[in-house]
Amino acid sequence: MPEKEINRGGPLGVEIGGLRLKNPILAASGTFGYGLELAPFCPPEALGAVITKGLSLEPWPGNPPPRVVEAAFGLINAIGLENVGLGTFLEKYLGPLKATGATVGANVLGRKPEDYVRLSGGLARSEVDFIELNVSCPNLRHPGGLSFGSDPGTLAFIVEGSVKAAGGKPVMVKLPPLVTDIVALAKIAEDKGAAAVSLINSLPALSIDLGTRRANLANGPGGLSGPPIKPLALRQVMLCSRALSIPVIGLGGIMDYRDALEFIVAGATAVQIGTGLLVDPTLPIRVIKDIALWLKKNNLKDLSEVRGSLKV
Amino acid sequence: MIVSETSGLESLGGDNYLLTLSVPEGRFAALGRFARLRSWPMPSLGPGTLLDRPFSIHGIGRGTLSFLIRKVGPATALLAGLAKGDPVRVIGPLGTGLDDLDPAFGEKKWYLVAGGAGLGPMGSLMAALGDRARLFYGERSGKSQVGSGYLRGLSRDADGSGIVTTTEDGTGYGLKGLVTEPLLRGLGEEKRPIVACGPPGLLAAAARAALDHGVGYFACAEARMACGLGVCLSCTLPKLDGSNFRVCREGPMVDGLSLDWDRIRA
Repeated sequence: MPEKEINRGGPLGVEIGGLRLKNPILAASGTFGYGLELAPFCPPEALGAVITKGLSLEPWPGNPPPRVVEAAFGLINAIGLENVGLGTFLEKYLGPLKATGATVGANVLGRKPEDYVRLSGGLARSEVDFIELNVSCPNLRHPGGLSFGSDPGTLAFIVEGSVKAAGGKPVMVKLPPLVTDIVALAKIAEDKGAAAVSLINSLPALSIDLGTRRANLANGPGGLSGPPIKPLALRQVMLCSRALSIPVIGLGGIMDYRDALEFIVAGATAVQIGTGLLVDPTLPIRVIKDIALWLKKNNLKDLSEVRGSLKV
Repeated sequence: MIVSETSGLESLGGDNYLLTLSVPEGRFAALGRFARLRSWPMPSLGPGTLLDRPFSIHGIGRGTLSFLIRKVGPATALLAGLAKGDPVRVIGPLGTGLDDLDPAFGEKKWYLVAGGAGLGPMGSLMAALGDRARLFYGERSGKSQVGSGYLRGLSRDADGSGIVTTTEDGTGYGLKGLVTEPLLRGLGEEKRPIVACGPPGLLAAAARAALDHGVGYFACAEARMACGLGVCLSCTLPKLDGSNFRVCREGPMVDGLSLDWDRIRA
């Protein structure tokens, strides 16, 4: 697909909370840095949007090493949400990233529910195009041991407060995958004003070194991502997209255009590529081109003919 | 990012192989940098590992690049089984090299210290430094050693006197003991700055040796790595000033006295 066709949007364009994206391929938080690091391989402006590394109010140092280990065809990480903090992001990284013409989502996370509201307020007047609330990181825990997004009351508080504070910017809520009723949580997000939900985050996981009987990560547990989690992600996306009227953004193990299209068939409006970017930093560009080719080959006008077309 | 061709695979003894790839000339002239290699398909399409594997650039030839591959797991077994003409995806050169850290690197005399597969980056350093380098190469046992013929070839001295080898259990050629023992003797005779690559215990011991003798020290750091490009923050190591250091971007070559070796897991 020629570059200018990508830039025009055309058959791949999607809309999320009033925001027009040129295509449905987004870079997932934590795998695209602060937006420019991978530019030689994957220009941020060629994507539907880039979502930043998760930002907290103050800089966080993250976990000690080792922080990653492979599982069968997957990756377990416990980076521990190392980030430069909101202030440094706004001062140093956002301007150059926006100058490329990229659409930018800021992923935010906090230690307390109030932190999300403050972070959203801090982004309200920035050049960021939308906000993604990370209430589901397996490396971030409530004192009770559950992620914020697993607790209906906490989730409602965070989403409602953040939407109000965000000054009209669309708010996307990244939900926890391992819950009894994902639809109930997604509906809370919708009711409280979220523009979209994104799922799934990585799954709580553990990797053991039998020789030493220690966990392979210094943190102990971590979050599993990559191809092993795709089937679960597809199922959660299908359930949520059928129950909600706001867009569902799918992610989990996308390694090529077929994986991405499966999410769209399951009902996703757009998708995010995360672990796949670590395997191949040019992957999103190829997926965008290949989806356009696939549409053409199958005589389809645009993605609306594909979205939610799962036959059951 | 290029798809290169395997131009040769040489067994070096033990589980060690020299993998030579053809690459566009001039692109990889970099001391102490690394590259991501992959000779297997994307993870949803067939066998292999999810991630690429990072390797120090071992040798820089005219239109070729070589890597020292030690067969320790499924990915290195695939690389050690390549045949001439097989494609390998190369992403590199990546990271910070010695010439970035010390522009006068090539003009000084150095002690190079390699533990096990830490011999990886030393090939190009030996070639660049010639008789200004003295290499200390240690292994746990003889069965892991790179053959002595290959090793001698890394030295410009015909008799290989610029290279000292050790095995901890004394089962290989060379001296018995830790590689740091002849290093310390060398420092006692002549002070020279150190470049070391190997397991964290060796890198920490080299830091102590450098401090005790008041010489400079560059470590070629190693950590489990995912992207190799600075975004995933998997490979960070703690520095003494409390900040984090990304092995893939600020490293792998680093001022070895700036890292907090006590907090780096062996």
